[in-house]
Amino acid sequence: MRKEEIKKLAFLARIKLTEKEVADVPRELESILDYIQKLSNVDTEKTEPLFHFPDLKNVVREDKSQTTDKETRKKMMAMGKDKDDYLKVESIL
Amino acid sequence: MTIKETQEKLRKREIAPEDVVSSFFSRIQERNKEINAFLSVFQDAADEIKKKDEKLPLYGAVFSVKDNILIKGERCTAGSKILEHYIAPFDATVIEKIRENGGVFIGKGNMDEFAMGSSTENSFFGPSRNPIDIKRVPGGSSGGCAAAVADGMCNAGIGSDTGGSVRQPAAFCGVVGFKPTYGAVSRHGVIGMASSFDQVGPFTSGVEDAEIVFNAISGKDSRDSVTTSIVRKKISRESIKVGVPEEYFVKGISNEVKEAVEKAVSDVEKAGVEVMKINLPHTEYALPAYEIIMASEVSANLARYDGMRYGLEFERPAAKTIHDAYINNRGEGFGKEAKRRIILGTYALSAGYYDAYYIKAQKIRSLIAKDFKEAFGKVDAILTPATPTLPFKIGEKIKDPLAMHLSDIFTVTANLAGLPAITLPCGEKENFPVGAQVLADRFNEDILFFAAKKFEKIWKH
Repeated sequence: MRKEEIKKLAFLARIKLTEKEVADVPRELESILDYIQKLSNVDTEKTEPLFHFPDLKNVVREDKSQTTDKETRKKMMAMGKDKDDYLKVESIL
Repeated sequence: MTIKETQEKLRKREIAPEDVVSSFFSRIQERNKEINAFLSVFQDAADEIKKKDEKLPLYGAVFSVKDNILIKGERCTAGSKILEHYIAPFDATVIEKIRENGGVFIGKGNMDEFAMGSSTENSFFGPSRNPIDIKRVPGGSSGGCAAAVADGMCNAGIGSDTGGSVRQPAAFCGVVGFKPTYGAVSRHGVIGMASSFDQVGPFTSGVEDAEIVFNAISGKDSRDSVTTSIVRKKISRESIKVGVPEEYFVKGISNEVKEAVEKAVSDVEKAGVEVMKINLPHTEYALPAYEIIMASEVSANLARYDGMRYGLEFERPAAKTIHDAYINNRGEGFGKEAKRRIILGTYALSAGYYDAYYIKAQKIRSLIAKDFKEAFGKVDAILTPATPTLPFKIGEKIKDPLAMHLSDIFTVTANLAGLPAITLPCGEKENFPVGAQVLADRFNEDILFFAAKKFEKIWKH
């Protein structure tokens, strides 16, 4: 992986890397990337991918809202800045 | 002391329930500073245990809980700075079930950040240490819980296992670690890492305890879409055939582990169990396939963390744009290993590479599962080493990601194929425990426990 490629991937993944990390990451990933090349030795022309297990069926539930009790709400509010019973975060738009 | 032994003492009134908890508390007080097994400790555990009905199956069981499993009202960090101030708003299903079945919680166990690592050195809160030798790692990622059970700070633990994160630290600390069949235990309320591999499983001092905990926590849950209740709990035969795969004794395994496990296998044979050599031809491709699928799923699962809610963002001057806020918070909030895996996953899933990496790896996964399916046509259970080496030194592998990942080479196969697998001590080398692993076919937990209990008895003599 080249530096530019790492920078692009970091942008796509929304992660700011320091200059040192931009230099280190390709080196650190190199051995893993070499290692995974091994897979090209296997003929998978006629093999189907296994995304999930065929013996499992999707479990569904009713889409109903639930109320959180007062005490938990209080603890949650203590995690960040709060304003009138809401968590305050940075403006997005 | 096992859960079973604790229960007997409680029922005979040899000890009071609050004493069970207080003896663990004093051990934690004495040892946790050095071992760093716990990130938080719950003082109310002594009151909780007194309220429990002694007829419940987990009565007397005192759990450490990996810090990626939600306990309502308690901090849950996943070992990461980005969740340093996160307080869980609800209980994970596994927590509810343990509570309903009589168990109590004594604290949260240290872990590699977002369960990514094999040593707990990737924890934002500092590494845990192996109680057998504090210069060595306890394994990971659920290293805190493994060390806590091994050191007598609790009699059980609950961790998550994506590529060996329960089984490998259990082996390094000399306790039992169990990963159930994918789909057997609910992950609702467990912070996701690689969702097609993640399973929740117990740490215990013996196989029977693992079975007791499993029976309490397994079952269908409307809040985890892959759960089912088809697990078999009663074995229908008395003797079993055991397969030993040749591919698990080749390149990468240390002499100490090889010798100890080979001796353990021959002891099993001598005890009259039918043992045969088998082949799982695609074994060497398991870890590379795992690397790709795991990193891909990690990059998707960790996309949700923006660092805006749980404190991190308020430590810094506000960013000018939302994009800057994201990249700054994530750049600062995630540790090295998390960033590396997110980048690798983003790479594997990006246009032009998706087929060559992600799809290819999922095809290999098919072949691994097929190898096992064929093997389970011939044998009931498979016996392998748990780890390729003895516990390594702190700092020894942290700078070489591949060397670290190779610690999971014998455990990732069960996650790829969704199989139940348990590790337990099978011998000793240089005063360190050596772990063996037993695998069974999907949902054949009955055979797995039957085999593991048999082996445990043989190896203890």
